[in-house]
Amino acid sequence: MKRFITIVVVAGAALLIFLMLGPFYVVQEGQQAIILQFGRIVRSKTDAGLALKAPLIDQVVRYPKKIISWDGDPTLVPTQERQFIYVDTTARWRIVDPVLFYESVQDEQGAQTRLDAVIDSAVKEVISNNRLQEAVRNSDVINQIVRRSTDDAQDASSILGDTYTEVTFASIDKGRDELSNDMLGRAKEAEALYGIELLDVIIRQIRYSDDLTESVYSRMITERQQVAQAWRSDGEGLKAEWLGKREKERLEIISEAERTAKVIRGQADADAAAIYANAYNTDPEFYAFFKAIEAYRALLPNFQKTLSTDAEFFDYLYEQR
Amino acid sequence: MSENDSSAERRAPGSFSPRAVGLMLGAVLLVIVVLSSFYVVDAREKGILLRFGRYVGRASDPGLHLKLPFGIDRVYNVETEVLHKLEFGFRTEEAGVRTVFSTQEFPEESVMLTGDLNIVDVKWSIQYRIIEPEKWLFNIVDGETTIKDISRSVFNRLVGDRAILDVMGDERPVIQLRAQEEMNALFGIEGYDIGVRVDAVQLQSVVPPRGAVQNAFEDVNKAIQDRNRLINEGKEAYNQTIPRAHGEADRLIAEAEGYQAERLNRAEGDVARYVHLYEEYRKSPEVTRTRLYYEMFEEVFKDAEGTDLIDKNLTNFIPLKQLGQELSLGGNQ
Repeated sequence: MKRFITIVVVAGAALLIFLMLGPFYVVQEGQQAIILQFGRIVRSKTDAGLALKAPLIDQVVRYPKKIISWDGDPTLVPTQERQFIYVDTTARWRIVDPVLFYESVQDEQGAQTRLDAVIDSAVKEVISNNRLQEAVRNSDVINQIVRRSTDDAQDASSILGDTYTEVTFASIDKGRDELSNDMLGRAKEAEALYGIELLDVIIRQIRYSDDLTESVYSRMITERQQVAQAWRSDGEGLKAEWLGKREKERLEIISEAERTAKVIRGQADADAAAIYANAYNTDPEFYAFFKAIEAYRALLPNFQKTLSTDAEFFDYLYEQR
Repeated sequence: MSENDSSAERRAPGSFSPRAVGLMLGAVLLVIVVLSSFYVVDAREKGILLRFGRYVGRASDPGLHLKLPFGIDRVYNVETEVLHKLEFGFRTEEAGVRTVFSTQEFPEESVMLTGDLNIVDVKWSIQYRIIEPEKWLFNIVDGETTIKDISRSVFNRLVGDRAILDVMGDERPVIQLRAQEEMNALFGIEGYDIGVRVDAVQLQSVVPPRGAVQNAFEDVNKAIQDRNRLINEGKEAYNQTIPRAHGEADRLIAEAEGYQAERLNRAEGDVARYVHLYEEYRKSPEVTRTRLYYEMFEEVFKDAEGTDLIDKNLTNFIPLKQLGQELSLGGNQ
């Protein structure tokens, strides 16, 4: 019994030692490995799983098979028209030839440093050979956007698009995606050197240089001021229009009423005259007498009077018939 | 210290028989085997099991599962049911009913150039889920960095294709929609194939750069308000005047109509009086005529004091009268 236990323990220890020396190695999903014997690459394993190796002699170096990000610093680059912009790019790459990769750059860090140089110069070349708008815009969508006009817009936010309704922007030749592809094409020369595959180079951000930013700001401000002025002047104009309309309608209304009033008065006078004439025409001689009597009655009290006895009134004063 | 415990005296305290050592080793081994033979997958997760590093082809659902011990099977749990949120240009400091945002600015994320070469500040967030955990684990190193990079790149390009006022206005929903589509295209099988799906893209704010530029944009809004105010002022003046003018017009016409009524009534009254008189006159013309004449004379001279009466035979009175005009003023009353 005791001997059996000893055998088991010794066998177990031996197995443990053997295992600890490492006759197996595991390559995980998403990994690949190369096997080195005293610094010499003997083989590579690119699929996941368990594999045998010579204990102590074989050294396993593992690399990811996954997509790796490259992140560049924003670089200040002049465009074709000598405008300085910060271009921030990133790229994605992966190791496709671990042997070559080990030989040329050893590790990921080394590869990233190589990519820094390659991609930076690709970015500079491409950006400086193209106009700014090629890098900023990707298509001519800007000219296809349907913008609403002022007439049906009532509130401020929907009028915002107004000032641009008539503007057409210059067409672009390439656009951002094509510039990205250009950069990728130039940077791809690094692939064969380092055993990697460059998947893409993309522009993450474009910014103006600080100097340029300031002048763009002032341009934006003056642009807005001009728009604001347009709104205000439009308002003034519309107000004046209302005031003019007010004056016009007021004069129309009043003069029309005055005309109507005069017609009514004239008609009244005519009607009255007709009534008088109708009545008086039956005996003009009596009317003359009647009217004279009326008029004397009305007017004579105003005169200073000196009577002559010639008047008919005094016919009976001296003689009685 | 006990006198009768002889076996205890023969061995040093803390030393065990080989049998006991073997048992203990066995027990420890058993515990390790048992413990490393189970794994738990949380309700929000999927478990990815690798046997000797190789993916066995299916993800484990939440619950308790068996696996081979000693690192033969390895399990990676991936949060597949969790919505991961990424923020660009801003950071949420404290989410809740009243979400607190960090006051810090992140211009390196939010500043963009628009298609009309203006500068705009765009803040947005995306929400994504890991839908294929094995791809997320094995196809990409640090997937979140790539998601961030792609998100920023896509937004920059979409904003760069549009004029600033469109970006701030009607094109906002279009940008959100397109950004989601384009990101999903890039993360999907046709793109990097990293097993991620973007579920939501939310534009947080699209504003012109802070300070003077923003003020200038604000001023346009104010100008639009000013315009409306001016129009209202014009309308007000109009509304103040025109109804009054209508009233004035009505007054003028009413007055004319009053005049008309008065004129006609008077005419008819006059005529009526005349007609009555005339009828009397027709009956006895001579008498009526004389009566009217003397009545008039009587009335006119009834109150007139100091009327001079000149005999038709006197000839030189008139010049005298003219000289004494001032003195005879009282004669009128």
